Amino acid sequence: MNIHLKAAWRNIFRNKRRTFITGTAIALGLASLIFSDALVKGTTDSLINTATGSFSGQGQIHAAGFRETQETSRVIAGADAVLARLAGDARIKAFTPRTLNFAMASSASEVSPVLMVGVAPDSEGNFSKISEAIVEGRFFEDAATGGGRRANSQDIILGAKLVETLQARLGDRLVLTAAQAGSDDLAQEMFRISGIFRFAIDEMDKGMVFVRLSKAQDMLNLNKGVHQIALSLKDPRMASDETNPLWKDYSSEGNEAVGWPVLFPQLKAVSALAGFATAIIGILLFGIIALGIINTLFMSVYERMFEFGVLRAVGTRPGGIRKLVVYEAGALGLLSSGLGILLGFVVTFIVCKTGLDYRGIEYMGVSFKDLLYPVMTIEQFIIYPIIVFLFTVLVGLYPAGYASKMSITKAMRRTL
Amino acid sequence: MKRHRTRRFAVPISIVGCIAVYWLAACLPADGGQGNATAEVQTILKRIDDLYRSRSSTAEITMTIITPNWQRTLVLRGWTRGQDRMFVRILSPLKEQGVGTLKIGNEMWNYFPKTDKVMKLPPSMMMSSWMGSDFTNDDLVKEYKLADDFTSRLVRPEKAEPGVIYIESRPKEGLPIIWDKTIAAIRESDLIPLWQDFFDERGTLVRSLRFGEVKKFGTRNVPSVMEMIPRTKEGYKTVIRYDKLAFDVPLGDEIFSLRNLQSQR
Amino acid sequence: MSKMALRNIFRQKRRSLLTSLTMFGGFVLVMIAVGMTDGSFNGMIDMFTRNSMGHIQVHAQGYLDKPSLHKVIPDYLKVGQKIAGVEGVEAWTPRVFSAGLSSVGDKTAAAVLSGIDPSLENKAVNFDKKIYEGRPLAAGPAKETAIGRGLAKTLKAKPGDALVFVTQGADGSLANEKYLIVALVDSGNEVADRSSLFLHIADAQELLVLDGKAHEIAIVAPKLGKVAKVKRAVEAALADPRLSVEPWQEFARGFYLAMQAENKEHQVSLIVFFIIVAVGVLNTTLMSVLERRREHGLLKALGTRPGRLFRMILNEVLLMALASIAIGSVVGTAANLYLSRHGFKFSQGFTFGGMVYDRLLVEISARCYIIPSLLVLAAALLVAIYPALKAARTDAARSIRYT
Repeated sequence: MNIHLKAAWRNIFRNKRRTFITGTAIALGLASLIFSDALVKGTTDSLINTATGSFSGQGQIHAAGFRETQETSRVIAGADAVLARLAGDARIKAFTPRTLNFAMASSASEVSPVLMVGVAPDSEGNFSKISEAIVEGRFFEDAATGGGRRANSQDIILGAKLVETLQARLGDRLVLTAAQAGSDDLAQEMFRISGIFRFAIDEMDKGMVFVRLSKAQDMLNLNKGVHQIALSLKDPRMASDETNPLWKDYSSEGNEAVGWPVLFPQLKAVSALAGFATAIIGILLFGIIALGIINTLFMSVYERMFEFGVLRAVGTRPGGIRKLVVYEAGALGLLSSGLGILLGFVVTFIVCKTGLDYRGIEYMGVSFKDLLYPVMTIEQFIIYPIIVFLFTVLVGLYPAGYASKMSITKAMRRTL
Repeated sequence: MKRHRTRRFAVPISIVGCIAVYWLAACLPADGGQGNATAEVQTILKRIDDLYRSRSSTAEITMTIITPNWQRTLVLRGWTRGQDRMFVRILSPLKEQGVGTLKIGNEMWNYFPKTDKVMKLPPSMMMSSWMGSDFTNDDLVKEYKLADDFTSRLVRPEKAEPGVIYIESRPKEGLPIIWDKTIAAIRESDLIPLWQDFFDERGTLVRSLRFGEVKKFGTRNVPSVMEMIPRTKEGYKTVIRYDKLAFDVPLGDEIFSLRNLQSQR
Repeated sequence: MSKMALRNIFRQKRRSLLTSLTMFGGFVLVMIAVGMTDGSFNGMIDMFTRNSMGHIQVHAQGYLDKPSLHKVIPDYLKVGQKIAGVEGVEAWTPRVFSAGLSSVGDKTAAAVLSGIDPSLENKAVNFDKKIYEGRPLAAGPAKETAIGRGLAKTLKAKPGDALVFVTQGADGSLANEKYLIVALVDSGNEVADRSSLFLHIADAQELLVLDGKAHEIAIVAPKLGKVAKVKRAVEAALADPRLSVEPWQEFARGFYLAMQAENKEHQVSLIVFFIIVAVGVLNTTLMSVLERRREHGLLKALGTRPGRLFRMILNEVLLMALASIAIGSVVGTAANLYLSRHGFKFSQGFTFGGMVYDRLLVEISARCYIIPSLLVLAAALLVAIYPALKAARTDAARSIRYT
């Protein structure tokens, strides 16, 4: 057995050009698999990110029943404990608390119903894309970051379309009226427009206003209560998995934690369709690669029929030929896989850095630049090489059988 | 991705919140204030504050609303007691006859005879335009006192007319009042308000309130007609006329009750 | 030269077979891939837009930007008839919108009213399939209403309850009316369902004093690819400057953007296919050329010009490519026809907006043929250039000695 192994290995290098061509073909196939997989993951992420990244987050925690009724008095139970727990949870990438309630915004000349969102400037700034979407003024700043500007509790940030409806401008006064939690008392507070954003998403540009969390809590008599904690996870795929224990973990003591598939069934539907489509493409891709491997391997074996004929003539048993061919296939597979991993890594890495610009001509200035980025995972570099290697060896079995059974005289004829 | 565009609540919602006529609230022409005002100004302001205020009152009002899309005239009957109880009934037009609004403290209910339905209003609905008119609930519900919540002073505009006092008022710091300033014109002889202009922070005139046709109701002389004219949009106007007005009328609790609301009287 | 090329092909049966196999396989697989990516792409958009918004919408000018009760399509029936007559319009459905307060028992909640024509709405966006409790709305105005899941929860309402809706009419009057809840609706859009309330359009018009008027007409086309054409046809048919006709890319912009990402990913997949096929062809062609060095040397020694040799090799590849494309077209068409009818079945179907999705259908179009053909031809020819050049440049003497 040793001899065949050694011979196989040496054979590979005897004809460098042939090995190179064949090996590269297989390596390219592997690299394509890796890159495609990364790209697919990136696209799925991009799709979800576009929907959830601007504001909603990949998952949200509310008090049970809040999502349906939106009652101001229904705050998250034990919010402090939950927040602390999130901070220490390795699965969580970022999180931010918010208050949510319906309010009326009045400017000097107009009035409009709005969703009033109380946000914590630090965590919100890192979490959602509001600060990137600001076109006038600025996002909330605290004393620490604001370059000396004092935190102003009267700050309010709203969408460009809403500002237009209210016939207001940056710096103008705005009065928000809302019902306090638990009672019917009206709360009315004065704000000053400190920032204007443009998301190109109607619901946000027309209907949302952001104020400081503490101000909202005061105004609504919420004490320290919050209505929602938005989450983003280190592994986005965990968010799409409704059965993941994460959701159960935080759905206790009267709270409810859910991921985006539950929050946005439409997104879930579209994403499911997309996922399935890419799976099919993956199969087709593998089909082509398989063909390619068959093609190159067969060619390289049939090329050398003469050689095998000679080997048989000098006494190598059919079984030995078979082993030789298979080992060669294996060795080739190994080398190609190595090269493929390298190639795959390099290409994916480069595109990871540059990103793919998919925004078409009709794209209209949304301030955050979301390009398409492939996502590299360890599995790609382990599973696919193994598959390709095994497949290469498998494919080698057929010509191996053919070579071992071929009559010597036939083999020594030059032409195929 | 929520791409489905949810229809936003347009201003029409307001109308429901606005049936509450709290026309007797102090906030009618908000004017005057204290602070660096002279004693004279103080007196004027207090008088304005109390112009329509009393322990209780009843009234019949004709309201005409003009918008670019439609025009309507409503006849209303109302009762108030103190600052927190109010009841309004629509007498005309026929389509809305019998519709009523009851306000007790911060709670508000509407009654619709056509559907025989009492609806409690979500509190935040109480804001915005009153009955589709150009008055906001703010104008009617709020309890800001000119004398207490504004800083006022006498001014002398360029086109000053003889026999008229002009007072400029600015809301005090921290109060959720949207106006930057108002200028009111008051007749010197009997301290009856003539008009009031409301300005935003850029000095733009946003709306004007005009008073007219002073009449004697009981023992008081008050303007019986008020016109609210928005200045930032074309074609809108609201005119309120007091056909009947009586002050300090004894009113029982049963008037301000849900049962009365539903009684269609 | 073609004769020689043809003979050469058959002389090296196995080699030719392998090369052709790669090209043929690549062609068929790309055919299916293109059909499938088109199918899934359109499927996604369709699923999303057909759910309730439709492919094309008609409004009064300026309505989309700033909706208002008063920005109406006057005489919607006439407009609808014109639209129905446009070729390519599969269905149309009118809507009236208003916002107000709804109340059941002692519960009150803000609601957004949609006045619809149930039969038209069913046909266009499968409205009746979204009903999960109760029965469909009557075909004519009957003071009935269907409410969204979230609204039903807030109002603690169920079919059989009486609902009162209050709003402001187009004449400024206080509009209020009582309706019987007959159905609960789940549209797949949770946020919308929290406040959605459906009435028969005639009931809504009566309530809002909007006789014969509507705010929106949604149009559905049979195929997504036809949307642009249908939109233009509708505009031409209406020929009314007061009306605005918009395609889904305009009123569902955010979704449109997200779809672009999908598109890009598919494009990249095609590039990858191209590379794989190209490499496969290169491999065999190169090997075959190298193998036949002696032969080529001989040919040159006999006087064959390098140019002719070059073209001969290319012809070999070209012929094989054409053959692969031809056979591939047949096989691929058969495959795609089957798949366009039966599609790929999901391991787990899902329901969205009342519709069941359990398979991906392939969409057949010219692209299914053009793209793979170009891909295979380009790959083959491009890649054959190197070996062909090599063959043409062989030094006759040296080659003959080559073993």
